[in-house]
Amino acid sequence: MPASTAPRLLETEAGGAVAAARDLAVDALLELIEKSGLRGRGGAGYPLVDKIRAVRRNADGGPIYLVANAYDADPGSPLSRTLLTRNAGNVIAGIAIAAQAVGATEAYLYLHPDAVEARAAAEEALANELGVQIEIALGPGGFMGGEETALLAVLESRRAMARQRPPYPASQGLRMRPTLVASAETLAWLPLIVVEQARASTKLVSVTGAVVRPGVYEVTLGSQLGEILTEAGGASGKLKGLHVGGPTGGILASSRTDTRFDFDDLRVAGTHMGSAQVRAIAAGTCIVNEAATLFAYLAKESCAICVPCRVGTKRVQAILESTYSGLGRDTDLAWLDELGTHMERFSLCGFGITAPSILRTTMREFPDDYRIHIQEKRCPEGVCKPIRSRRYETMVQP
Amino acid sequence: MSLLERFIQPGESQLPTVSHMGEIPSGQPTTTIWIDGKEVTAIPGEAILRAAQRAGFEVPTLCDDEKLAPAAACRMCLVEIEGYHRPMPSCHLPVEPGMKITQASESLFKLRKQNLEYILSDHNAYCMPPCQVSCPTHIDIPGYLELMSKGQHVEAARLVKEVLPFPYMLGLVCPKPCQEVCRRGLVEEEIAICQCHGFTGELVMEMEQAPTPFPQLPATGRKVAVVGAGPAGMTAAYYTALKGHAVTVFDMMQKQGGIARYGIPEYRLPKVKLDKELNSVWQLRDTEFRGNQMLGRDFSLDDLFTQGYDAVFLGLGAWRSNELRVPGEDLPGVIEAINYLRMNSEGNPVPVGKGQKVVVIGGGFTTFDCARTSRRLGADVTVVYRRSRKEMGAHYSEVDDAEHEGIRLEFFAAPVRFVEKNGRVGGVEFQRMALGEPDASGRRRPVPVEGSNFVIECDTAIPAIGQVPNLDFFEREQGVRKTKRETVITNGALMTDRPGVFAGGDVQMGARTVIECVAQGKLAAKAIDRYLAGDDMARVAEEIAEEEAVPDLIDIVPYKPEEPQVRMPMLPFKERELSFQLIENGYDKNAAEKEAARCLQCVCPDVGRCHLQRLSLEHGLTDNRFHRAEPVDYHDYEYDFSHDFILRDLNKCINCTQCVRICRDVIGANCYGLMGVGYDSIVTTPWNVSLKYTDCVSCGACAETCPTGALMMRERDLQTYELDIVRCIYCGDCVEVCPHGALGETPNFEMSTYGRFGRTVLAKEELAVARTWKPSEDIPLDGHNSPRPPEIRPPGPPRWGA
Repeated sequence: MPASTAPRLLETEAGGAVAAARDLAVDALLELIEKSGLRGRGGAGYPLVDKIRAVRRNADGGPIYLVANAYDADPGSPLSRTLLTRNAGNVIAGIAIAAQAVGATEAYLYLHPDAVEARAAAEEALANELGVQIEIALGPGGFMGGEETALLAVLESRRAMARQRPPYPASQGLRMRPTLVASAETLAWLPLIVVEQARASTKLVSVTGAVVRPGVYEVTLGSQLGEILTEAGGASGKLKGLHVGGPTGGILASSRTDTRFDFDDLRVAGTHMGSAQVRAIAAGTCIVNEAATLFAYLAKESCAICVPCRVGTKRVQAILESTYSGLGRDTDLAWLDELGTHMERFSLCGFGITAPSILRTTMREFPDDYRIHIQEKRCPEGVCKPIRSRRYETMVQP
Repeated sequence: MSLLERFIQPGESQLPTVSHMGEIPSGQPTTTIWIDGKEVTAIPGEAILRAAQRAGFEVPTLCDDEKLAPAAACRMCLVEIEGYHRPMPSCHLPVEPGMKITQASESLFKLRKQNLEYILSDHNAYCMPPCQVSCPTHIDIPGYLELMSKGQHVEAARLVKEVLPFPYMLGLVCPKPCQEVCRRGLVEEEIAICQCHGFTGELVMEMEQAPTPFPQLPATGRKVAVVGAGPAGMTAAYYTALKGHAVTVFDMMQKQGGIARYGIPEYRLPKVKLDKELNSVWQLRDTEFRGNQMLGRDFSLDDLFTQGYDAVFLGLGAWRSNELRVPGEDLPGVIEAINYLRMNSEGNPVPVGKGQKVVVIGGGFTTFDCARTSRRLGADVTVVYRRSRKEMGAHYSEVDDAEHEGIRLEFFAAPVRFVEKNGRVGGVEFQRMALGEPDASGRRRPVPVEGSNFVIECDTAIPAIGQVPNLDFFEREQGVRKTKRETVITNGALMTDRPGVFAGGDVQMGARTVIECVAQGKLAAKAIDRYLAGDDMARVAEEIAEEEAVPDLIDIVPYKPEEPQVRMPMLPFKERELSFQLIENGYDKNAAEKEAARCLQCVCPDVGRCHLQRLSLEHGLTDNRFHRAEPVDYHDYEYDFSHDFILRDLNKCINCTQCVRICRDVIGANCYGLMGVGYDSIVTTPWNVSLKYTDCVSCGACAETCPTGALMMRERDLQTYELDIVRCIYCGDCVEVCPHGALGETPNFEMSTYGRFGRTVLAKEELAVARTWKPSEDIPLDGHNSPRPPEIRPPGPPRWGA
């Protein structure tokens, strides 16, 4: 595909971008970024230029920091790793350009400790003279290490725990100073924007599960989920559902292949961009079991700062497990809904706020799986093995 | 001279400006925000929570401390703010001008309640002991059992009498709701709780002056009339008199005790001992008993007020037996249950004798009192009940005993009519019943089986199907209302519609157990005292409702070696024939102490101070939906009681991180942090070692700030250690080895006279000086605002390096 018409993050190398950006006035640079329509690739989709402007507004002559998040919290979605191994130059150049845009004095490239290859590639790219100090920092491993404020805590040598926002990192970030935190994928767009005035129109996506060729692909934002599956060689068999957005993302029915892969469309569908993982769930999978497995993962990964996430994920996991162990009751669905609302309203960070989407989407798209487990006390797919003999009971005081 | 005045330097005329909660320092720029529609002045940049607290709003929180950086961890202080699309923590978010905040709304209440339910579901700890919760008087059972097990029986009786003035009586007649829920029952067998306080009651009964929970207060000059000398009335009289009011008790019978004397037979409660125990009321100053005085016959309520009584308590009891409403009920030989018991206990002749046949109808306590009394009179007794043994109102032990004493039990039969024979009752015709659907009381409703009638022959029939109060006098009493069930209507503070007239016990509840009547007597005494002090009775009712609420509990029983209940020595069944001798022989001292020591002491020492408990009560969280699942759903940590001053129980930790922050940011020792990840995260020491092996300086700040009982100060008994100055060679070894630095921290290797826990290490010669020092002397104050004695230096060689 010719680079001039549609730049590809994974392939197009934008040489001389850092120098070109240096020649631009900051306002002109920001205008370029604004025109590209670049939204944060970390999952929330917040416009990058707004973040940069917020940091600049808070500048008071003291240090300003920049953190490129290449952590890949979701083990099923190694986007930053792939990007760094394939095209580290763009990421590093992007960091340098962003540092210039926000006026950062120090920049960090934040990596997962397991990303050995990506780290080597980044170190090689860092050998070039960029005019800004970029340091590689390693996270602690685990899902929470990638959360925006948790990674700031890690950089401050503390436990990876989320922090209540506001204040956002743009005003009080690393060491309580204005900090730009952006994903490596977002920043990798900057050289292309500076050199080619590109529109940020593609997104890396990790296609996993029951597809012919699982892997990381670059797709146009707004592609249908069906097209993304085709990119990965199509489904390897009959599908039951599509799990979009990583561990805290919702599961859609396999018939909803026309859902557009875009920040806003996914939100309307009840899930979110998240880690940009599209997992094809094969037919014959019990969705109640899937949801329970996801919550078991979340209950193990929560940073434990807030009650709804630390205790709530565990309680939901246990209710789902008792449901597929044949101990479900009709009232459980309303109860799960209630717990989901509490988690969504009362959690501290995006982890707990988005986790209920698993409950919401599965209960909406796969009501039969729940119904058969609860009313007929059997697994709709015949795969669930009971793992609990006791469920939650209400104890009323005498 | 006051402490504050001592701070003022000569020449300074004004007191320094002191800023504390409730006011904003002068000169501070302020802004206006709205909380729940109320305009509030706030300091820009301060936490919303601070502004709300200053304005008098009680925003619930479990992880907030003014001294510390906010954590927003407990999620209890979340408030709704206009412009934010989800609730935000008020401890964390700074005030901005013009903010519109909702801190109390139905949805927030619900979400906070859910949050508390989560916290409690991972709070594996005892809260209130269930025995104490289920006892209507809420007697401190673990407390008196512990005292008893240590042999301090008088002190135990004193503790019991805080809420239960008559432990001996209740030890014999109480249906023991406490024992049904005893957690020891989960190990093997419940504690004989009632018999234990029965023992202490019997012990102190013999004392010339029975112990009181507190010394009787000085006379107030107010007079209270108590009508009815039964359990409720006597309890009300006892506590009212203790509060210093003069009490006169009126009763329609000649002697005191009410239904406990006239309704409970001798073999269950000997009247000589009952009198001895009740006499503890007359041992109090300004108390008087007037027998043979019946309300409505001999005097009226108006008379009492005319005679100068400031308040009246009605403890009239329930003396009228319910009628069966079947034909033949008025035949001679059909006798009223309460009357029968009363005649027998008064020593009057009763129409039941040796060899006669008696049928008692019913299944409650009175039924069995009548049946067992008749049996002791030599009769051949059958008890007929319309449901099964399980549904009987009487305690199961009593039903079993009755059977062993030779009483026949007939179930599933309801009386249809009394059969006449020679002008008096000759038998009772019954119809068989089957159990149908459960009724309002949860017991299954008996349904008649057609054509199943049968007759039981008898010489005497005693219907005993419950009692109601006798409120005939009511027509003439003004301002007091009654229900359809013939009970007096009161508010939550037990006051009737007529101000100053209170009612409690059976006359207010309908016929209930003795212990419930005692509990009401206690509450009424409290309400009367507050009434006489001129308090708002609606507020008193609210307070009582709050105090009676029950918090959530989680049942996990720590391992205890099995130890069966010490059996109460009972009168052998064959000796019970034709004898009204007391059937419970009572514990001896050893048995009582052994039984008391079985108590698991399943009570949290933090009860009453615990913020989690307080918030749970405020949010009405009395049950929890997350009980009884698999062990993996809960945490069961080891205690760390190895530290000399701080007790750590991780099971009670709610991860609020207050101790982490206070130890790190205020104290600087940094002993705590979060360990683990996910649901299993817990606040503990580095590598979860004993607190003893951290840099802990034993300051106690963590225990002080802990919202629950996870960190608590150990009780300690400070002693003055004496140093023999003649033998001390100033080696400094004691300073070196002291694990808590209590002796160290001077620049040189010198004995410090300045111990961490106060001035406790002094040279022998100086002790006399220190002890004669008095705070009133003019001594300069140190930075802690607390007077300390002047610096005392032991005589000896000069300081090194001086």
